[in-house]
Amino acid sequence: MNEAARGTAVPPALALRGIRKEYPGVVALDRVDLDVYPGQILGLVGENGAGKSTLMKVMIGLVQPDAGSIALNGAPIVLNGPLHAAEQGIGMVFQDGCLIANLTIVENLFLCHELQFRRRGLLSRRDMREEARRVLEQLGVHVDVDLRVEEASPAVRQMVEIARLLWLSTLYGRENPLLILDEPTTVLNDDERATLFSSLQRIKERASVIFISHRLQEVVDTADRIVVLKDGRAVAELAGPDAQTARIEELMVGHTFAADRYREHEQREPSPEVVLDVRDLSRKESFERLSFTVRRGEIVSLVGLVGSGKEAVCRCINGLERPDTGAVLLNGTQIQAGSPSEAVRRGIGHVPVDRRNDGLALAMSVSENINLLVLERLRVAGFIAPRLEQKNARTWIESCRIKTPSARSLCGTLSGGNQQKTVIAKWLTSRVQALVLDHPTRGVDVGAKDEIYRILRRLAQEGVAMLIMCDTLEEDIGLSNRMLIMKDGRLVKEVDCAPEHKPTPREIIQHIV
Amino acid sequence: MTSLESQVVAQPGPSLTELGRRFRRTGVSGQILTLALVVLVFTAGTAGRFLSIPNLQAIFSDFGIPAIVAIGLHQAIILGAIDLSVEGIAGVCIVLVGLLVRNQYNAGDIGLWILPVVIIAGALGGIANGLVITRMRIPSFISTLGMSWTLYGLAVYVNKATTIPLLDQRIHDFVVGRVAGVPNIALLAAAIAAIMQVIEDHTRFGRYIYAIGGDEQLAAQAGVRVDRIKRQVFTLAGAFYGLSALFIASQLGSAHPRMGNNQLFPAVTAVSVGGVALTGGVGGAKNAILGALIVSALNNGLVLMHVNPFIQQAVNGVVLISAVALTMDRSKLGFIK
Repeated sequence: MNEAARGTAVPPALALRGIRKEYPGVVALDRVDLDVYPGQILGLVGENGAGKSTLMKVMIGLVQPDAGSIALNGAPIVLNGPLHAAEQGIGMVFQDGCLIANLTIVENLFLCHELQFRRRGLLSRRDMREEARRVLEQLGVHVDVDLRVEEASPAVRQMVEIARLLWLSTLYGRENPLLILDEPTTVLNDDERATLFSSLQRIKERASVIFISHRLQEVVDTADRIVVLKDGRAVAELAGPDAQTARIEELMVGHTFAADRYREHEQREPSPEVVLDVRDLSRKESFERLSFTVRRGEIVSLVGLVGSGKEAVCRCINGLERPDTGAVLLNGTQIQAGSPSEAVRRGIGHVPVDRRNDGLALAMSVSENINLLVLERLRVAGFIAPRLEQKNARTWIESCRIKTPSARSLCGTLSGGNQQKTVIAKWLTSRVQALVLDHPTRGVDVGAKDEIYRILRRLAQEGVAMLIMCDTLEEDIGLSNRMLIMKDGRLVKEVDCAPEHKPTPREIIQHIV
Repeated sequence: MTSLESQVVAQPGPSLTELGRRFRRTGVSGQILTLALVVLVFTAGTAGRFLSIPNLQAIFSDFGIPAIVAIGLHQAIILGAIDLSVEGIAGVCIVLVGLLVRNQYNAGDIGLWILPVVIIAGALGGIANGLVITRMRIPSFISTLGMSWTLYGLAVYVNKATTIPLLDQRIHDFVVGRVAGVPNIALLAAAIAAIMQVIEDHTRFGRYIYAIGGDEQLAAQAGVRVDRIKRQVFTLAGAFYGLSALFIASQLGSAHPRMGNNQLFPAVTAVSVGGVALTGGVGGAKNAILGALIVSALNNGLVLMHVNPFIQQAVNGVVLISAVALTMDRSKLGFIK
């Protein structure tokens, strides 16, 4: 396996052995071995949900593994948290950044390590500025260090984070720091990307780098070694320069494809009648003008990488964001833009990815959540009738097979899958015409997934038009009648997914990356 | 490289835009302009009487005590919290003044030792605030409001609502005295603001207040001991409330817990007008003191122009809401509760 490292006598700077991490219902990491060598850039790739972020969090001590060991320069170590990891010379640049926006670049660089700049009891701003300029110039960044971070460009912010991590490792006397970059290129333009790569080549002279990116070509061009994660396991290790993006794609997607896992035999040809009509929709810095329709009983899957703009499209349809141009029509009538309550009133439902915060009132009962949108139907003489409430709730608990001790149990006590079924039941009883589903099976176990697939098929038969974003490509392909592929804010391809000729994940992934 | 270099340091030069940039970088540009506007309007409106020496002295002597309260309060607001406890803490401290300073009713006579006593008593009230907030995890809005009522109730109970005339004149003489025509109390407030500003700019404690106000979670991740800093901020605030309580009683020459009332609103207005955003992380002692000056100048001007006192109060209310509207980035708030 260890093609690139073979023949070199250098011991790994960081060695992970048998790392395992389980979350309720999901095995995030399954006996992962990973070696990081000094002076190397290690590329880490995998689909969304393959376990990359959990693995990163293990390496900086943000997540404690259930099993397995970590050795730093040959010595076993337990990392208590990001601060402890930083003291060992391990640091991570998160996608959304770790800098405090209202502080200046200098203040962020040395936050919590200001003592050495003390002169006669007070911190010397001049010393701090000089050191900041020196540290940043080493990385080729020339910037006003008194700029507040919120005023700095994403590229500068990123370099400040890198500089901070390198500076900390020097402060604690670590010879070969380990720098983890989580999708650093998504926020950068082409010039900035080129700058980052040339800096990385310089940084690796004195550090190890782990580089995570969805843009495979970037990884192949930059990394010395590439590790592929799939379903929580390190399935392959390739030498960077020789790797082919096609081969990596294949490894990322894998081949396991259980027959009829997504109840494809229940898939029906939708009626020609258009329910949801999206016309010329666009939103600045999210996605460019696009149009599509979803028909009665059709499941349309929207696929693309994080940042492709698909989430923003869905948010615009649900009224959670206001598009710059275009309109959303339901059964031919235009829906007022930017108003979630208007969308719900007209019959566009939304199953959010974060059901605990956005989808359910956790402190309310299952029955109250299910009945939330149909209270006017449950009234007798102007007052809500408890009898009708209970009756309606019970009908849907049964029909969606929500496993709950009683209709009065609080939603917060249910498992993820049953919470999700409650969210869907709420939309079912409100007789929605169109439903946007944002990763409906995220974090639910296999059994509950099948239940959700069953409910989705039934919704389709009842004529609900659905727009769905799934956790894996297989799921997208299996569930949908049609796929819309987005890349960099544009709708690039439409693929038919009739049960008899489903595309393979490889065909799709080519368009995505 | 181009994009990284697009934010290079501008060469310092005498150009007008550069001067403008430096002016904005002071962090009090808006306040200086506001103050100039207030001065201009009232000078015009009072045919110059506003700018007469006696009137300026009046403005500055009115501004001293609210300024000290505002300086105490503003760090809690930089944290992204609020401190509403000033009236309760001041009430307790004023009762202590009535008990311990030479008076007509009891044998208390600790002289100038009252100074450390009120500061420590105020700080203890602040510690209580800090502990309720960080240990019991009660939002500062409620914990300090509750603390204010608790302490005020206890103060009136102990004092039995009597007004105690004070016989020791030394602090009174300081409060109403002047150095080279400038009221002592204003000089003291300015000195305190200067010290606090240095603490904010040049100590770890100061940096951490801003870090917590910016993003508490990230600050904690970087190693800031968030709860400890919060307790320190509220303790310091309490100490300033105690000090201002002593000055209030001394100025009036007697002690009654009710004298601490009506301290909160001017302080909150001063801090907001000064540009310390309620969302946290922005502003400093210089903002608090300039805000206090603007508010006193405004109220003085309204009196000079014979505006009805109730209309004055209404004007202050509008000023507070407008100041918050201008300083706070409300788009960053997820919910308005």
